[in-house]
Order: sequence, then structure tokens, then C-alpha cells
Amino acid sequence: MSPRPAFASDRLAFLLSVVPYLIDHPGVPVAEAAEHFGLTPAEMQAQVERITGMGVPGATKTYGPEDLFDIDWDALDDEGRIYITNRVVIDDAPRFSAREAAALIAGLQYLQAIPGTADTEALAGLIAKLSRGASATPPAVAIDRGVADDALEVVRGALAAGVRVEFDYLSARGARERRPVDPLRLESRDDVWYLRGWCHLRQDLRNFRVDRMENLTATDAPAEHTPDEIALSETLFDPSADDLVVEVRLATSAIPGFAEYLSDDSKLVPDGDGFVRTSIRVAHFHSLKRLVAAMAGLLTVVAPPEARRAVADWASAGVERYRNARAEDG
Amino acid sequence: MPRIVPPEERQFALVLALLATEQGLTKEQILSTVDGYHQKYVPNGDNANLERQFERDKDTLRELGVPLETVDAPGQPGNNQLQSYRVSKGDYELPGDIAFTPTELSLLQLAGTVWREGSLSGDMRRAMIKLRAAGVEPDGPMLGYAPRLKQLEPAFGPLTQAIERREAVSFPYLRPGRTVARTHTIKPLALFQFRGRWLFMGLDYADHKLTFLLSRIVGEVTFTRERFEPPPGDHSAEALRELEHLWQRNTATVAVEPGSDAAIRLARRYGGTADGRLLVVHYSDLSLLADELAGYGPEVTVLEPDHLKQAVVSRLEATEWAHRDADAAAGGAA
Repeated sequence: MSPRPAFASDRLAFLLSVVPYLIDHPGVPVAEAAEHFGLTPAEMQAQVERITGMGVPGATKTYGPEDLFDIDWDALDDEGRIYITNRVVIDDAPRFSAREAAALIAGLQYLQAIPGTADTEALAGLIAKLSRGASATPPAVAIDRGVADDALEVVRGALAAGVRVEFDYLSARGARERRPVDPLRLESRDDVWYLRGWCHLRQDLRNFRVDRMENLTATDAPAEHTPDEIALSETLFDPSADDLVVEVRLATSAIPGFAEYLSDDSKLVPDGDGFVRTSIRVAHFHSLKRLVAAMAGLLTVVAPPEARRAVADWASAGVERYRNARAEDG
Repeated sequence: MPRIVPPEERQFALVLALLATEQGLTKEQILSTVDGYHQKYVPNGDNANLERQFERDKDTLRELGVPLETVDAPGQPGNNQLQSYRVSKGDYELPGDIAFTPTELSLLQLAGTVWREGSLSGDMRRAMIKLRAAGVEPDGPMLGYAPRLKQLEPAFGPLTQAIERREAVSFPYLRPGRTVARTHTIKPLALFQFRGRWLFMGLDYADHKLTFLLSRIVGEVTFTRERFEPPPGDHSAEALRELEHLWQRNTATVAVEPGSDAAIRLARRYGGTADGRLLVVHYSDLSLLADELAGYGPEVTVLEPDHLKQAVVSRLEATEWAHRDADAAAGGAA
């Protein structure tokens, strides 16, 4: 939770949640309550003071003192502790909305793909609790169990033990190399898992697709770089000065799935029926030609000419395989 | 001058007032007495703005899962001026026997990070705030993981809403190989991710079950206002089971270039088997597999089935045709 929730509905959720917390924890120090909700002590104190002005229109249809929350002001001023002395209507935490419960349940199902996070039985019990704790039936949002990749288990173990891993990896330019890597974070986008780590071969931070690693082993060598020492960016693919800029024509229907190649300042210029023109950054033609060939009819490279040629040659080499096969058959 | 009440304080006062009332409060009573409204209320005057604000606040409360009840006045069904509103405490509060252990809480927090992007991120933020009400501290955050679900398709938000509201929706859908989208009207039952793709399942006008890929919904999802009663059952679990069967049943045989990207990744594909250069791969959707295989270019050749082979060849030919320049081709021939 950010210190100052940007949305009114988040601030309402906070008010509805902090009151039962304070009732359950009489005399809690301001600093402790603040830390629990991710606020500064000054912000927490301001929130507590504001709650004391609120309540219900009582028997007289006006807000009398007995109808408002109140606290022990001396305890707050002298000891920095919060005691609610007059409480109004609510005692317990609110239920989850149907969508909140659905989002949590689907998130838990997704975690089953990570080996060792929780056993199936514990998750099933937790999911049942969430369904019961929702104010309406959660909409059915589900995630398949995913592909249990043995490599994920090895990387997870190395991360936990703080040791270096080694694996063979095809570089973006297509060369196979043995990479010694200090694991920093296992990160995923849907069913694709990446290891973010410090590569001793490149002496820099690198991302690796777990399903591209070969001959993966956890070594005995302790990792020199650890997750708490290196701050990783929130985005997986940071633009680099070496990137190639390529102009493309993209089907509008394919834009959502293409978001990771676009940046906030990408211009999408309408270009005829159902298409836009834009430019994207790629590390090398090696990855570009694969991307374009997997999106036939949806994505076309417009410029530069050498990028067009790389894609055309790649596709033509693919077609050639079938021509040869036919010739052999005949 | 009366003090300006921030929206969350007005909404908080509304929740408290609705929880406190046994028989319910009419709109008139709410606007004239509840903090945040009564300051702007004009007795016997025009309160249209205030009424609109009340409508928006009701939406916020529902979004947060506050179970708002409407009670018709005796003998006046449907008269919303006389309708009254209340919130039952039992339906509002988390049942007393539901508590989370520190281990469960750290799992839930990790599950929460999964939805950092997209249309459920707000719901997840609020769920995380509510989880703190119990005062349980998670037993150590799970460092070293950043699992994320992308759900980038714009249809995701409206579809979850439609499932929750049990309302039929219409949307344009482009089947692979077609150039013109067809509009479908579907009663949505379940939304699910299978092998990294978002799909949804629902009933058509004849109550036949149909499954759609979200990425092939090429336009806006519109609500039809037609409500329906879903048949009983765990539809998403059932749909996932059916897709799993389909995946097991459908196989293709391909030859891969040893040591290539295709060889490494296709050999890891779930459920497949390898025999030297020959791999058997499973799939649930032939055109998705054809897209993926076309991306590998000359690193993979489809041996069977025949329609997959044709689908890959036609994709590669289309890509070559779209990227081969006349002068380059001439130069190549010379």
C-alpha cells in the first residue's frame, strides 16, 4: 500500500480496515500501527484524529458525541498509544468483494506453478476460506497449473541457498555459451519464467529465459551479488543504447499482446484498415525475425531494408525446408 | 461555511449509517442526515446533484463488496423514492471463524503481486488493505519472486464484470484464417488462463458451450442487459480440464535443428517426447502452434499432421512475400 492511496475507494477500504484493527489492538503504539498499514507515524496519527470526527446520525438525527468514534487523547498525546474509547457500529474487518476474492484465488492458483511455494492442500483450504469470506460468489477466474519445469526448481533452490548457477545459453546473437550467474530474482510473465541475475561472463545484470537454459546446475560457489544488494528495475526489458530501432506495421488487434515491445512514448500512427505504424526497439535481428515470423499477417517490418531482408531470408529458409522435403519424397 | 467532507469520509459515514439502521433509510433520510450529504442538502429543493453523488457512492460501496440491500416500501414495489437502503452486519463483516495464519498471509501477499498490472490491480490493492485489518504480520516476505500475470487484453475487465453480473455480452471475434470478424452474443461463465493464454467460456443462444481466445476479440465488449442464471458447477475448472484433454489428444511430429532455440524450447514443451531430431509436441489450438512454429523458421519442420504443415508453410510464405523487396529479389537472382 502506498503511503497516500490515490483512489477514494482505497482510502475508504483503509478506513473500514483500520477501525477493526485499532479495536483489536487497544493501546497499539502509533508507530507500530503506521508500519502495519505502510504509513508514516504522522500520517497514521492524522488518520486516527480524523476517525474521531466520524460516526452515525444518532437518535436525534444529528451527530452527538455519543454517536462518534472517540479515543483516549491523553494516551495519544503522552504515550503515543491509540485506545478507542467510543466505538460505533463496526467491530470486524469487511468481507472481500467478489472480484477481490476472485483475484486472490486466481493469484494463488498461479503460484502453484512455482515449485515449493505451498502444498496443494494448504492452497485448497485457503481458497475455500476466501470464497467464504467474500460478500458474493467470486466470478470464476482460473489459471492452469502450468508447466512444472525442473529448471525452475533448481533456480529456486539456488536463490534460497544463495549460490551461483551455471547453464548453457544461446545469446541474443545465437552463440552458445556457458553462463555463471548469481541468481537475484525469478520473475514471470504469464507462463514464461525469467531469471534475473548477475552474469559473471558479461560482468553485468542479465535476464535469462528459464526454458532456454540447458545443462543447468547449482554450484557450491556462494553468490557474490545478492537480492538485497542490487535494486532491480520493475520492467524486464530496459531500453539499451545498443538497441536497433525498427519501423513496423502492426494490426490494431495485435496491439494488446504487443505491449512489451512498445513504450509509453511509442507513437501509433493509423495506417489503413486495421493497421498502425510504429517503431520498436530490438536487441538484434536474430530476435526480430523470430518475432515477425510468428505473427504472419499481423506484423510487417517497414524499415530499415536490412531488417526486412533478415526477416525475408529467415522465412524463405523455413519454406525451403519443405521444398527439400517434397523433393526427397518425390 | 460548512467544512468540505472528503469523498471517503462521506462514503465511510454512509456505510456506518446503513449498518446502524434496522429497517433501512430512504434516500431522503440519507441525503438530509448523513455527514457529507446533509451539508449540501436543500430541504424541499432541487437535490439532483446530491442524488447523482449518492448513486456514484453506491457504486463505490458495491465495488468494495459492501452488500447494499434495497427494501421496497410496503405496497410500493419498485418506487425508488420510497425504497430504503441498509447493510446487514452479518453480510458485511468477515465471518468470525475466518482468520489467516502468518504463512497464509505471506502467500496471499505474493498472490497479490501477481496482479500488478491490468484491470484487477485496484481490486487486489483493496484486498491487501483489508487483509491488514486482522493485524497478522506475514512470516517473512517471499524474496526473490516476482510472478506477474499480464492480462493485457482489453476484454479482460468487461468479461470479469459480465461473469459477476451474470449478464450476456456481445463482441467481434476474428477466427484464425478469416479476415472479417463475426459478432457473438454469449452468456459468459468462466475466464481462465491455459498455457499462458487467456480464454473464456460461455453459452450461445442455443446454450451450447463455446470457448474463445481473448486475443482474438478484436473490438469492444458490450453489455446486453440480458441477465441469466448460470448452470451449476465449477465452470473454469471444467473448462481447464477439457483443454487439458484436448492438449493430451492433439499431437504433432516435428524435426528440429539440433542445438537450436527450437530444439531447446520445444523439447521442454509440456507432455512432449523426443527421439533424436524428432519431437512429438502437444497442442490445444492448431493455429497458435502454427504461429509459434513459423517463428522458428528453418529450425523446425512439421512432419505431421498435414494441415499443421500447410498452416506453417502459408505463414512463412506470407512473411517472405511481405518482406522481399523487388530490387533485392532481382539482385538475388542475378
